[in-house]
Amino acid sequence: MNKSFQGPGERVRTISRQTWDQIWKQVVIWVILIFALYPVCWVISAAFDPANTIVGQRLIPKHASVLNFVRLFDHELHPFVSWFFNTFKVALTSSFIGVCLTSLAGYAFSRMRFRGRKTGLFAILLIQIFPQMLALVAIYLIIFWIGHYIPGFGLDTHGGLTLVYLGGAMGVNVWMVKSYFDTIPYSLEESAKIDGATPLQMLVKIILPLARPILVVVFFLQFIANYSEYVLARVLLATNEKLTMAVGLQVFTQDQFAQRWGVFSAAALIGAIPVLLLFWLLQNQLVTGLTRGSIK
Amino acid sequence: MGRSETGWLQRLVSLGDAGLNLTIIFKIIVFGLINALTLWSVTVLGAERQYPLIVALVAGIALFDYVYLSDRVYPVRFIFPGAFFMVLMVVFPIGYTIYVSFTNYGTGHILPKEMVIEQYTGRLALSKDLPTYKAQIFKNPAGDFAFLLTAATGEKLVAADSKASPLSQSHLKPADFDGDGVPEQLGHYTQESVLNVFSALTTLQNLTFEYEGKILKLRTPTEFGFYTPKYEYDATLDALRDLETGAVYFAKDGNFTSITGESLDIGYQTTVGWRNFKKLLTDRRYSAPFIQVFLWTFSFAFLSVIETLGLGLLVAVLLNDPTLKLRRLYRVLMVIPYAIPAFITCLVWRGLLNTEVGIINNAIILPLFGKAIPWFQDPFWAKVALLVVNLWLGFPYMMLICSGALQSIPGELYEASMVDGANGWYRFRRITLPLLLSQLTPLLISSFAFNFNNFNVIYLVTRGRPAIPGSITPTGATDILISYTYRMAFEGGAGGDYGLAAAVSLLIFIIVSIITFINFKSSRALEEVPQYE
Amino acid sequence: MKRYLLLILCLLCVLTISGAYASEEGKLLIWADDTRSPIIKEVAKDFTDKYQITVQVQELNFGDLRDQLGIAAPSGNGPDILIGAHDWLGQLVVNGLIEPIDLGGKEKDFAPVALSAFSWGKNLYGVPYALESIGLIYNKKLVRKAPETWENLVASGKKVADQSKRQWGFVLPQPDPYHTFPLMAAGGGYVFGENPDGTLNPLDIGLNNKGAVQGMQVLLDLVTDGIMPTGIDANTMATLFKEGKVAMIISGPWYFQDFRAAGLDFGFAAIPKIKGKPSRPFTGVQGFMISSFSKNKLLAQAFLNEFIVTEQAMYALYEKGDRPPAYLPALKKVKDKDILGIYDSASAGVPMPSIPEMASVWSAWTNALEVILNGTQQPQEALDVAVGQIKTAIEQAK
Repeated sequence: MNKSFQGPGERVRTISRQTWDQIWKQVVIWVILIFALYPVCWVISAAFDPANTIVGQRLIPKHASVLNFVRLFDHELHPFVSWFFNTFKVALTSSFIGVCLTSLAGYAFSRMRFRGRKTGLFAILLIQIFPQMLALVAIYLIIFWIGHYIPGFGLDTHGGLTLVYLGGAMGVNVWMVKSYFDTIPYSLEESAKIDGATPLQMLVKIILPLARPILVVVFFLQFIANYSEYVLARVLLATNEKLTMAVGLQVFTQDQFAQRWGVFSAAALIGAIPVLLLFWLLQNQLVTGLTRGSIK
Repeated sequence: MGRSETGWLQRLVSLGDAGLNLTIIFKIIVFGLINALTLWSVTVLGAERQYPLIVALVAGIALFDYVYLSDRVYPVRFIFPGAFFMVLMVVFPIGYTIYVSFTNYGTGHILPKEMVIEQYTGRLALSKDLPTYKAQIFKNPAGDFAFLLTAATGEKLVAADSKASPLSQSHLKPADFDGDGVPEQLGHYTQESVLNVFSALTTLQNLTFEYEGKILKLRTPTEFGFYTPKYEYDATLDALRDLETGAVYFAKDGNFTSITGESLDIGYQTTVGWRNFKKLLTDRRYSAPFIQVFLWTFSFAFLSVIETLGLGLLVAVLLNDPTLKLRRLYRVLMVIPYAIPAFITCLVWRGLLNTEVGIINNAIILPLFGKAIPWFQDPFWAKVALLVVNLWLGFPYMMLICSGALQSIPGELYEASMVDGANGWYRFRRITLPLLLSQLTPLLISSFAFNFNNFNVIYLVTRGRPAIPGSITPTGATDILISYTYRMAFEGGAGGDYGLAAAVSLLIFIIVSIITFINFKSSRALEEVPQYE
Repeated sequence: MKRYLLLILCLLCVLTISGAYASEEGKLLIWADDTRSPIIKEVAKDFTDKYQITVQVQELNFGDLRDQLGIAAPSGNGPDILIGAHDWLGQLVVNGLIEPIDLGGKEKDFAPVALSAFSWGKNLYGVPYALESIGLIYNKKLVRKAPETWENLVASGKKVADQSKRQWGFVLPQPDPYHTFPLMAAGGGYVFGENPDGTLNPLDIGLNNKGAVQGMQVLLDLVTDGIMPTGIDANTMATLFKEGKVAMIISGPWYFQDFRAAGLDFGFAAIPKIKGKPSRPFTGVQGFMISSFSKNKLLAQAFLNEFIVTEQAMYALYEKGDRPPAYLPALKKVKDKDILGIYDSASAGVPMPSIPEMASVWSAWTNALEVILNGTQQPQEALDVAVGQIKTAIEQAK
């Protein structure tokens, strides 16, 4: 709000409240950004430093070069491009389907009343809490058997990996979606119901458009999680060309004492780009655009 | 009026008015297909005798039919797809973990008993004091093999049809056509080259020939040797007998042990009842540091949630301001810590915080305070380091969910309060915060549970160190419950004890569930949400 | 309903494991890590050309091989051959995952220490192909001649060390038992004592005896003299060395390529003697092992004996892996002085104990090293605590 209550003479000399607001906000953001991005600068530095070390070198490498990037694309030993596309494919599919699954469940929990609703919600959250360290063997066996009967979804397939990731789609995401749905007034659906719409139609045509921000968040969080997931992918994928990036990149760090951090950093940076691009594109959806409560 | 604006589904359904009810036909087709597929699968599985799988499949399809055909559990139709995957990929492994916690599954006990017995009885040892024979391989058109064996002494044997006999007594005679001393024929068997033999090695390796009560077998593709079994299994005693020494090893509790206390190398997997749990709860090695580790675990989780929420919320609110310049760019930049694998960023932090050569000490702390902070050597500072790194790793997540949730707050609430003359801070405290928290509570609780078990960060940044001097088992000052107990399970005594680790997982789960449940009850997050009009 | 399903699915698990177990007949599947797999693929190509047998090489991370085997092999997805380190033997043997190997008389062509490393009881469980151990790597610009005694090392270190310029005379990774062991072994320290029949006695631990304490004291003196910094891990050490900030480090062949790429003029020598006794490092041996769940055991055996145990293949493996070959005819062809230096270190070293009980040693030992170098506890005290912890762990597991 402008200090419009002040006399004309005084307004000329003070910085308006709004500008002052803007300034301190920018300052705070920049301080946080420095905190957030400083380690990333080191990763960038390592990527351009052919010495293959991390944090030993100076921030601006002495002999900066793109050697690590070249090494990265030396296809024979590590098909980085394949890994890249594999990861993208699996993460995208599993996140998208995951959002669908979560929305369906969230809708039921938000709009319908049935026995075991509260217990079910709590159970979904609780199940996610269980330390899954030993789940590897179990999941390995499940996928092994699925692959035995359904080709394309077994061990060493992206289908199988996607199935596993879908198992993690529910959980706290359902809560997020349900809570958001709860804040959408029921009046719209009431009128739709009178018109004869089924619950599924109400979900798809009314709720989902309004709930876009939370769907974007869920999608993005799932995407990042599956994108960088390492433990399960390592166990389920075997052929070099089929690996996801998170698993494939380990090859640069596993040599116990000869870790190639430079190449790893280069790969990590390239790998981060689609994630950030995706977020850039999606972030418009994060804002509803419609003022709530004034929908006709 | 309304009809013309409705979608394709409505139009399809309206066709149904003309007498065809398409939805019902659609349902019939889909269900028919699924059930038919199931019946076919049952026959396939039946042929392979996978009875448990059949039961599981049938039960699953019955459930599916019930959910989608009966109207009584209508809401479950929406939950079923997600729940299906969750049960398969998450619940089942939990069940498996619980099962394993009652076994001794671990190093030295990973194979089932039958497999171990098979290994020992199947192992044939080369009799070193008996001669070996150079072998020449012959094959007949039917695909059977015969061998001409020559010992170093010149003694010749013929091996065929599971028996070996001296050349003179055999009815198969070698025939050397080109006079090079190497027979091309042995009876009706023709010579095979070693090259061709290689592909048949898998069959050949199992051929045995009896000679004078002993067993002759292929040792290499060109050599035969005498082999004797080393062990024999006695089913009545449930023991393995060493045929050389006569010692008997009884199957007991996962190992084959003799009366003198020696056991065979390979052990087997078996259930052990409550042994793992008893060990965890009563063995001093585990219970002694428990309180200390638990307190730190709790604080770590709690503080992590508070700090990431604080920073994340701050950033989300700041970036929510539509008048802020470059805010779209800022948002993307803020997400970067989340987009780069923690594997490498944690390592970068380790390097930055290195006491001697790290930048943080050298460029900031030393000039400001004159003394370097022993980040990883001092228990307190190690904990601070962990909290700093966890803040860095976790605030983008909080920022994202707060950003999403902020959109759910109706704009008029802000407008109304501004008319009333409220300033920014007041608006935040009275409107934003309560509404956000009501949405976020389950997420905060879940984040708490996640950090309670956040093995990765602890391992990557400090490995649990610095060590607590003088503890009964190696414990670190920054160890959390799960890193401490897992390490013990995987490094205790003879290497990986997965049964114990499973028991640990279960106990930790119970602890966290109790905390979660209490939090839920007190935050009343499960209550009905008031609707805004 | 759900509980019953769960129970059934759990039983499923057991049944699947007890089902049939076999790799594919007539083919060979080899598991190797990314440094070994290219050369194996080449060798395998010759084999396939000659004998028409498909050889498939599957790449896994070195660290994952052992664990994956335990899951994959019993359920029928395991390899025929795997390539790994000798200290895996303990775990693999008691898990029933590998087969004894018959070298068919070629034993005399291998370095004795390599064969003993891959032996368990009376049986040989692997075909060794490479040795490795650590030694003293020195920057020739800062230290002209490799010191032979510890006193020489201290003297050379003192000349180079300069706190103000952040220069150090000597660094070894801390806290790291593997790199510290040679110093403790010089005076008589050991991990597990030997039984009369040659096997290791897990209840006889020599990490807190006079020799061990002496080794730690030697290190502490370096710190007080300002020659060595504390709290440096392997990565940082390598970086500092590459930047020419450190005169001498203790490390192994794994950094050779990196150091050469950085243009460093370095040399490799045995770790200097302490009080006249040699500082024996741990020797690691890498070799080929045959899975007990392989369906092609004889074929695998033949592949190893006929193709791998040849001068050609063994030398090729050396070239790719930068480790001295364990196969003597191939060793004769090696000219690289540094590699030969490693071979000498390795043959004179102590094979890393491979019994499963070794798993309980590392944490306790590392913690002891940490508190000693921090100054929190005296060497004897800290090592006594460590040995106590190890003994408790081992006894409790019985």
